[in-house]
Amino acid sequence: MTRCLLLLTACFAAQAHDIITTSITFSRDIARIVNNHCASCHHPGGMAFSLMTYADARPWAVAIKEEILRRRMPPWGAIKGFGEFRNDQALTPEEMERIVSWTDGGVPEGEPKDMPEPPKSLEPETFRHGKGELSATGEFALTRAFVLDGLWPEKVPEKGSFQITAQLPDGTIQPLLWLQDYKAQFGHPFLFQTPVNLPARTVIRGIPPGAKIALLPKK
Amino acid sequence: MRRRSFVSSSLTTLIFARKLWSQDQVWVCPMDPDVRSSVAGVCPRCGMKLAANLPEATEYHMDLSTLPRALEPGQPIQLTFAIHDPWKGRPVTNFQLVHEKLFHMFVVSQDLEFFLHNHPVFQPDGSFRYDNLTLPKAGMYRVLGDFYPDGATPQLIAKTMIVPGTPPAPVHLSRDYSPKDATNMQVEFRTDPPQAIAGLKTQLHFTIKPADGFEKYLGAWGHMLAASEDLIDLIHTHPFIADGGPNVQFNLTFPRPGNYRVWVQFQRAGVVNTAHFDIPVQELQ
Repeated sequence: MTRCLLLLTACFAAQAHDIITTSITFSRDIARIVNNHCASCHHPGGMAFSLMTYADARPWAVAIKEEILRRRMPPWGAIKGFGEFRNDQALTPEEMERIVSWTDGGVPEGEPKDMPEPPKSLEPETFRHGKGELSATGEFALTRAFVLDGLWPEKVPEKGSFQITAQLPDGTIQPLLWLQDYKAQFGHPFLFQTPVNLPARTVIRGIPPGAKIALLPKK
Repeated sequence: MRRRSFVSSSLTTLIFARKLWSQDQVWVCPMDPDVRSSVAGVCPRCGMKLAANLPEATEYHMDLSTLPRALEPGQPIQLTFAIHDPWKGRPVTNFQLVHEKLFHMFVVSQDLEFFLHNHPVFQPDGSFRYDNLTLPKAGMYRVLGDFYPDGATPQLIAKTMIVPGTPPAPVHLSRDYSPKDATNMQVEFRTDPPQAIAGLKTQLHFTIKPADGFEKYLGAWGHMLAASEDLIDLIHTHPFIADGGPNVQFNLTFPRPGNYRVWVQFQRAGVVNTAHFDIPVQELQ
């Protein structure tokens, strides 16, 4: 018993009151996720508090876990696997699992030498509306062929949840975008990994009453 | 006895985790990234070979196409999965085995009545093909692809297929922990804590009867797919504790409050058994 206690004391000494039960660390694992998904807003002088260092992130660990599990952060909005987007900001299942393991495992810092380089740019990407966009409401039928590069919610009821699909003339139904518990922060373009060819007479469905979605053309 | 095992296991984990911080060479389980070792070997949890200096996790692209393109209920279709790298979109043609297969495919229907775990076949062009899938009714089907490109980390990527027609009514699951009679075993189920809480770890305990002839299925003592009833969350995992005896424990953190269905697969005497249970998950009060 005494030996066990000594061993436990030795194990915990460096981490004050945290019981470390994971080998996932901030330096080696979590900092990379922060750089890729959070840093554009969560940096010193950014739109939100910084998460760039262990000291910054440590007090927020439990909140980070809860926010990412609920998909409230990052404020991306689209459910994975319903359309595929080249500007996707959602965490992968593996990244979510790492954050859960880190938080539940005592929030270890790790070695400073394992910290990744900070991102080259911390500026959030900005978008502008362009020519050739179609503004879709309700059930929207295309009168001509359209190469769809993305969707941009212009007006959507708060907390709305809906799936936008394209029904092609051959009967195929293509998933385009699934938004859940809509917030104003989701009002950014969702740009497809590969533009979608929509023939004339394609019907866009799933836009809820009171909502307006811009269909972005391929340039 | 169980308590002693837990203390011993916790201490080992603690010492193990602590020791790894000071080492450069780390062997990581590609599927359970919190399982790391200073020496080569296999993951004690899922049986996968540990990888040295696993690269940074990067999401690959998985294209899913069907033949015919337009889906109909009850009509057999062919699925093709093509994988591309995330940097230049080049086709990926080299893969490592994940639990004895190059590609695992899960398909779940919107009403959670249809469940399939199977293995599309590798093609000479690097894609994976699955023939004769019949989607029984109209509505949404979520497809999960589980694969491991060479030089990357294992990928778990969701896709969606929609069968035209009137979709089934929204699902509202209620708690179902009752024992299930599968093909050649009975599966009992309980959770600890008894009421699962979103965001907190839940232990899912299964007891299989009879346990003689219990054997690994695809390299693991069991496989689990958990799906939220709205099909937003899809989680594929393997036992946290299992030794070939009748008791198998999975650990799961349910991400959001709501109802979840979990399908478990165990193999006995060469027969794969599938059972499902429904778990209400509450908000932390």
